[in-house]
Amino acid sequence: MTPVLEARGLGRAFGALLAVNDVSMAVASGELRAVIGPNGAGKTTLFHLISGLLAPTRGRIAFRGEDVTALSAPERCRLGISRTFQITSVFPELSVLENVRIAVQLKAGGNFRLLGGRGLIQASERRARESLAALGLSDRADALAATLPHGDQRLLEIAMAVAQEPELLLLDEPTQGLSPEDTAATVAVIRRIARERQLTILLVEHDMDVVFDLADRVSVLHFGQLIADGTPEEIRANADVQKAYLGGAD
Amino acid sequence: MTPRRARVLGLVTIAVLAVLPWVLARHQLSILVDLLIFGLFAMSLDLIMGYTGMVSFGHAAYFGLGAYGSALLLIHFQPPVPVALLAGALLAGAVAVPVGWFSTRATGIYFAMLTLAFAQLLYTVAYKWRDLTGGSDGIAGVPKTTLFWGGPSLADPHAFYWLVAACLVVSLRACRALTRSPFGRALEAIRENERRFVSLGRDARPFKVVVFVIAALFAGLAGALFAPFRGFASPEVMFWVLSGQALMMVITGGIGTLVGPVIGAMVFLLIQEVLSSYTEHWMIFTGAIFVLMVIFLPGGLVGTARRWMEARG
Ligand SMILES: Nc1ncnc2c1ncn2[C@@H]1O[C@H](COP(=O)(O)OP(=O)(O)OP(=O)(O)O)[C@@H](O)[C@H]1O
Ligand SMILES: [Mg+2]
Repeated sequence: MTPVLEARGLGRAFGALLAVNDVSMAVASGELRAVIGPNGAGKTTLFHLISGLLAPTRGRIAFRGEDVTALSAPERCRLGISRTFQITSVFPELSVLENVRIAVQLKAGGNFRLLGGRGLIQASERRARESLAALGLSDRADALAATLPHGDQRLLEIAMAVAQEPELLLLDEPTQGLSPEDTAATVAVIRRIARERQLTILLVEHDMDVVFDLADRVSVLHFGQLIADGTPEEIRANADVQKAYLGGAD
Repeated sequence: MTPRRARVLGLVTIAVLAVLPWVLARHQLSILVDLLIFGLFAMSLDLIMGYTGMVSFGHAAYFGLGAYGSALLLIHFQPPVPVALLAGALLAGAVAVPVGWFSTRATGIYFAMLTLAFAQLLYTVAYKWRDLTGGSDGIAGVPKTTLFWGGPSLADPHAFYWLVAACLVVSLRACRALTRSPFGRALEAIRENERRFVSLGRDARPFKVVVFVIAALFAGLAGALFAPFRGFASPEVMFWVLSGQALMMVITGGIGTLVGPVIGAMVFLLIQEVLSSYTEHWMIFTGAIFVLMVIFLPGGLVGTARRWMEARG
């Protein structure tokens, strides 16, 4: 079966710095893949390359077997790649519901309906409410996004991405800054969504317990390079990984 | 505000507009027409500024294009005024297509500077192209023709007032509907977080160009009303000072509220009218009032009123 995502020799330079260096990886359909690595390893840059927010300086990216390297971020989103951001990125002065609804509308179309369009808005609102319910945010639907506590804003980001019904979901440190309880709740939500919607998920996560608990496979980045790729057991036993990351974590 | 309350307020406003010509003296009515025209102009700026978050420093260009378009047509061909309105609005919208396409390549202050540069360019054209525009003298003697071919004359002050009031009310309703449509919702998302918007599946630029052109159409309509009302069009109507005043009107009234800028324009011009009859240094006072408003009434008059009403339930 063709992998949902395939990167070949992917690289991104910032001046002399190779933030992502010759990364090749394949993610199978329905897989939950964790991407780990120390701070500055290039995880977020890799996500930007996959989602199209940054252009690679070398290498190619294929989605469902189709080369998407030349496509813009909006085009890749419409094909089925949705993402969240490490630094929370929502529409602060819009309601929680509208944040999710606009995510649905932008992907579904009808965006240039200048007048009326009430049916379109209601349809997207229904899907947005489903997504909010799945993330346990239903009772916050009318609040302004900016007024949500940090943990709920992280969930809102996921709700926006999930509402787009993507095939590939990129989650950049969804549990960053969360309390242990919120982390556990978020992990449970991700696990449930992955199962129910049969999503392929790429997840950046620093908490090793979470990673080994949740992931089907783990990819390890170190100074931009992929130094290991395998099942959680294999990664745990890998000496290079021990040295680069697990042992030497600060 | 509840929809019901908003509707009541809207009906009351229309009723007041309907009664005013019977109670106002002739020169007062003429001031009112001026206020409504500039109210329409300020409202059009709010579409790009308040709803999309793009600050234009050159919005007077489209008011001016509307004024010149309508003035030239009325002088040379004497069509009914609505034809001149349509022509003025379309001229402004047509010029806004390339300007908007080009300016939206930049964002923030660079977008503002590009719009200003294009406006000054158009101002210079109006100033220098004497044969067409009359240069600094402008075009005088623009006639208030009729409502339609063989229809009633609009030279009567009441008749012209009705036309302007109708244009404002219809434009306001159209813009209100626009902001509630899928397109209008997308604009708000662009204003809030353009990077997030793009990552959700659409380029922002086509939206920005379209709303820029729509705003220019309504600004052009306002200018096209101005020319026959005042009887002239001159380069001042596209000068940067008017662009700056439009920004102040929007902020005074309440950014992102549509009715706010209409009220803002009226308050702004009334203060100017009153002060300038007392002192030639009126600009100092309007400037001071503006500063105080920005500090003490964030959200403008309408924004403040809304917050106050919400607080009281
Ligand atoms: N726009 C940029 N310009 C210059 N350097 C950049 C840019 N973005 C990232 N970098 C550099 O690239 C390297 C990789 O950064 P990246 O954000 O991808 O790391 P990360 O693995 O996500 O780290 P963290 O765990 O801290 O989120 C870092 O050294 C960073 O400083
Ligand atoms: Mg990162």
